[in-house]
Amino acid sequence: MRELQELARKLLTEGTVKVVIGWEEGPHNVRPAFVTSPEAVGRLIFDHRCVHNLATYLNPRRSQVKKLGKPAVVVKGCDAKAVAGLIRETQVAREDVVLIGVRCPGVVQRPERHVDLSATTVSPRCAECDNREPHLADHLVGEAAPAPPTVAAPPERLARLASASASERWAFWQEEFARCVRCHACREVCPLCFCERCVADKTQPQWVESSPHGRGNLAWHVTRAIHQAGRCVGCGECQRACPAGIPLGLLNKKVAEIMAQRFGYRAVDDPSVPAPIGAFNLNDSQEFIL
Amino acid sequence: MRAAYISADSLAGLVADLRASAARVVAPARAADGGVDYRPIERLEEAELNGAVPRRSLKELFLPPTEPLLTWKQSGSAVELSEVPVEFPPQVVLGARPCDAAAVATLDRVMDWDYHDELWFGRRAATTMVSLLCTTPDETCFCTAVGLGPDAGKGSDLLLLPVDGGFLAEVLTDKGEALVAAHKDRFAEPGGRVRPEALVEDMRAKVAANLAVPMAPITAWLEANFKDPLWEGIAVRCNGCGACAAICPTCHCFDIVDEPEGVTHGVRRRNWDTCQTARFTVHASGHNPRDGQNARFRQRVMHKFFIYPAKFGELLCSGCGRCARACPGGQDILETLGRIAALAAGKREATA
Repeated sequence: MRELQELARKLLTEGTVKVVIGWEEGPHNVRPAFVTSPEAVGRLIFDHRCVHNLATYLNPRRSQVKKLGKPAVVVKGCDAKAVAGLIRETQVAREDVVLIGVRCPGVVQRPERHVDLSATTVSPRCAECDNREPHLADHLVGEAAPAPPTVAAPPERLARLASASASERWAFWQEEFARCVRCHACREVCPLCFCERCVADKTQPQWVESSPHGRGNLAWHVTRAIHQAGRCVGCGECQRACPAGIPLGLLNKKVAEIMAQRFGYRAVDDPSVPAPIGAFNLNDSQEFIL
Repeated sequence: MRAAYISADSLAGLVADLRASAARVVAPARAADGGVDYRPIERLEEAELNGAVPRRSLKELFLPPTEPLLTWKQSGSAVELSEVPVEFPPQVVLGARPCDAAAVATLDRVMDWDYHDELWFGRRAATTMVSLLCTTPDETCFCTAVGLGPDAGKGSDLLLLPVDGGFLAEVLTDKGEALVAAHKDRFAEPGGRVRPEALVEDMRAKVAANLAVPMAPITAWLEANFKDPLWEGIAVRCNGCGACAAICPTCHCFDIVDEPEGVTHGVRRRNWDTCQTARFTVHASGHNPRDGQNARFRQRVMHKFFIYPAKFGELLCSGCGRCARACPGGQDILETLGRIAALAAGKREATA
């Protein structure tokens, strides 16, 4: 913590950056912090409650953050993958951001103030973490952290899904999507949903109906999942933001598995590795082309 | 005020009676994924009375996330419009949180302002609201600060207060009286049972500890300070996701869309909308008068604590705390109100 705060102080004092985006103890929960003066670096914390993917504040749509000036962003390994995505897709120039990497012990699912890291509280994504020390960072702080706790088995309803038939999976998602109110919080919090005009907002023609009924919700969630194929870094922020509690992470995970299987692609924090959605490869499978 | 007593067993019987009479009964209950929502129930055991705060509020029972307003059919140059029914089958909300019931009554004002919303009032007329004293406030609840409380009766027809073996049912409206009269076998005289004042006061104190600032100076400050340095950094952590509006019991903005369902026919629907997204105010020219999240969050605060009170004399907030709980960015309305109260009192804190 001290190391993080001192680095932030140095960056702000030297004028290397205008704002350090990290985490702080909020009034009720741990939350993102925007530290603009060296005197305030004491607010910065990092521990297992620092759930938020702060790369989302580099999304060009966050104009209120851009106004603060050049940022340093504290990133976990998973967050760094999202920064790499933004660089890869030319939304952020590498030299326009300072990345402070943290060695991550795994994080909990919700940034509650009083919560320990345990098999039941740990975020499921941490079990599959392949990037506990971000490679993309300019600075790496913190002690090497022990591996995250083994994730407790998911609820039976979710565990069953992997082996369920197509019609059972269809029924599952129908039930989940029925709760969707189309607030699009999943899109708005996503670091990689940066389209200035989302296809779901287009009205001439209306590709995706805006109404939260069966047709509209299915069209939206399928479109979102597929547009995120090979782009989603699995940070889980969409699921955390969803006010209806829809397990969007499951869809993302399934798509990521298919991307790994079909294209040999896994999300990495190296912007020079092309993502399948934006790259052409003669070796790509073509058997689906008639 | 008249009060009746209903035992826990009789309450279960009441639910059975209501279902037998084909009335819909809605109560906080667990969805398949384990979360609590206001959902239709068949039996009392399904209800989660005084458990977790339901994820979404009661407003969707009266203003659904999407609903048809009319349907159209075209034949040559003739267009035939069909209206939707504005009368609804009876429903009883059981175990409403007093903050959620109050919010619905607050919304009656705007729904009967320049236009009498027949769909809203059709559902209101069909609904009897049975609230339950809140005994599970958490640290983001602030109903007492907005003039309500764990036993607030606003918007409720009956208010249940836990007493030995059951509930004291305070009859607040004619509709509440009608429910008791229609099921008089399930209710008894209170006898010696009295209001659990100590419990009520305990809950009230618990909520009041979260936020104790007067609202009138906040409203006055907002009226005079549309431009203030406070707003320049008020929502830097806000992603504009609108989850706050989706779960808010009083946010009621909607969009109206025409959806073709074939070449010759379609449906006009209204869908929830929110001022927290960029798209809400963007002009056809591309200009957006509310350019940026700071301005959008200011709008949220202004509407709830100045504009609505100025127009209707009521705050557009029931202090349920959902927005503070749900915000993925940690935006916190209690903190914002505290800061505005300080500014209204002439104290400007340093911001870093």
